[in-house]
Amino acid sequence: MKKSFSLYGAGLLLLFLFVFGCAEAVHLGTTIGAGTGKISKEEKERLDRLAVQTERASRPMTAQEEHYLGRAVAASILGQYRLYREERLTRYLNEVGQSLALASDRPFTFGGYRFAILDSEEVNALSCPGGTILLTRGMLRRAQNEEELAAILAHEIGHVSNRDGLKAIQQARWMEVVTLLGSEAARKTGGAEMAKLVSLFEGSVQDVVKTLLVNGYSREQESNADRSALALLQRFGYDPNGLPDFLRKMGREQTGGGGKAGMFTTHPGMGERESEARSVIAGNRWVSGNHAERDRRFQQALQSIR
Amino acid sequence: MKSKILLVLLGLFLAASIAWAASYQVITQEAVIRKDKRFFAPLIVRVPYGELLEERERQGDWLRVSFKGAEGWLHISAVQEQKFSLSSLSGERAQETTKEEVALAGKGFTPEVEKAFRDKNANMRYDLVNQVQSQKINESRLQEFIRIGKLRESGGAP
Repeated sequence: MKKSFSLYGAGLLLLFLFVFGCAEAVHLGTTIGAGTGKISKEEKERLDRLAVQTERASRPMTAQEEHYLGRAVAASILGQYRLYREERLTRYLNEVGQSLALASDRPFTFGGYRFAILDSEEVNALSCPGGTILLTRGMLRRAQNEEELAAILAHEIGHVSNRDGLKAIQQARWMEVVTLLGSEAARKTGGAEMAKLVSLFEGSVQDVVKTLLVNGYSREQESNADRSALALLQRFGYDPNGLPDFLRKMGREQTGGGGKAGMFTTHPGMGERESEARSVIAGNRWVSGNHAERDRRFQQALQSIR
Repeated sequence: MKSKILLVLLGLFLAASIAWAASYQVITQEAVIRKDKRFFAPLIVRVPYGELLEERERQGDWLRVSFKGAEGWLHISAVQEQKFSLSSLSGERAQETTKEEVALAGKGFTPEVEKAFRDKNANMRYDLVNQVQSQKINESRLQEFIRIGKLRESGGAP
């Protein structure tokens, strides 16, 4: 009789889980179950623990965690490249980028969007999780006007918005973080658990840095970032042709054997991406607006770049 | 017996729908509640990370919320919806939840983890990261930049 009650209780719990789909319901279920004597206290505790663990195992990274991860990724990249310090240019870059980000699908991140220049001839743009976006001097010099610069930034904002950097973290590693945090041991702040957490953090940082600097994002992630960029440029009043125009230039350099720099490893298939972008623009019948004033301030900000 | 259980289930359903009045938690370092649903609308109140806001109304990506007696609009990307809570139904559970939250608060990739990571990796240039992250353009300047460039000051993505 007791066993059948127990089964009945378990069935009821499963139903609760199905209906509410969260640990709260299981707990309520177990409370009722235990209260009416249908399940034992130990069983109740075990089921509660299990429900909490299951819930945690699937939790995504929080915006705050993304921020601290992104800071470490940026700190690592800035340990490998020099920062190009030209105040006026950096301010201009941030004006373009921060106003553009407001019109994006994700206007707010934990710490906000920030833009900086790496002192390198390579042609690359790197988006750290949380919104720190780094452009090489080589990349910046290839942009001919504010529309093209905005296109590069909009593409990188797209990666941040789509959380592409976070997808670079090995799933097993993140599962370990979640399991560690959910464990009884981690609740008492112990040195060993902290050390384990730091090493998981370190591994996650390496996963992201490796994707940004070596492996590159997938073709699909690039394509999605292009699409968000086009929509963002159009919405904000920029000529979206800045994107395919810039991709065309990159494609020419690529086939000309111009470089082995990051942009070419992290952004493959320029020709394909260019025609994809042109067909999106044509399909939407997007037209460009006035850029005289934008051209002027672009020239002024970039005139002294090496 | 069966009908009793059905009754309990029905009760839970009702309770859940009552408790579903959405509340939102701030997930940015600081969120700004504004007078209107525009990015540069006048500021009503600044709300720090982690605070809870009650939803009054939603229009597209903008929420009208209340916080400590003040009311206004903020963009949905600055907050995260809290799943419904049945805590009010079960005092015991409410206490447990609080204990749990306290125990887990500040866990994960936190400033403490960052500090330990920095101590371990001297080659990380956090000094430069701080410098980069201090480059916030103030609102009036951004508005001016948008106006001069004949760009659109929008209320965000449609």
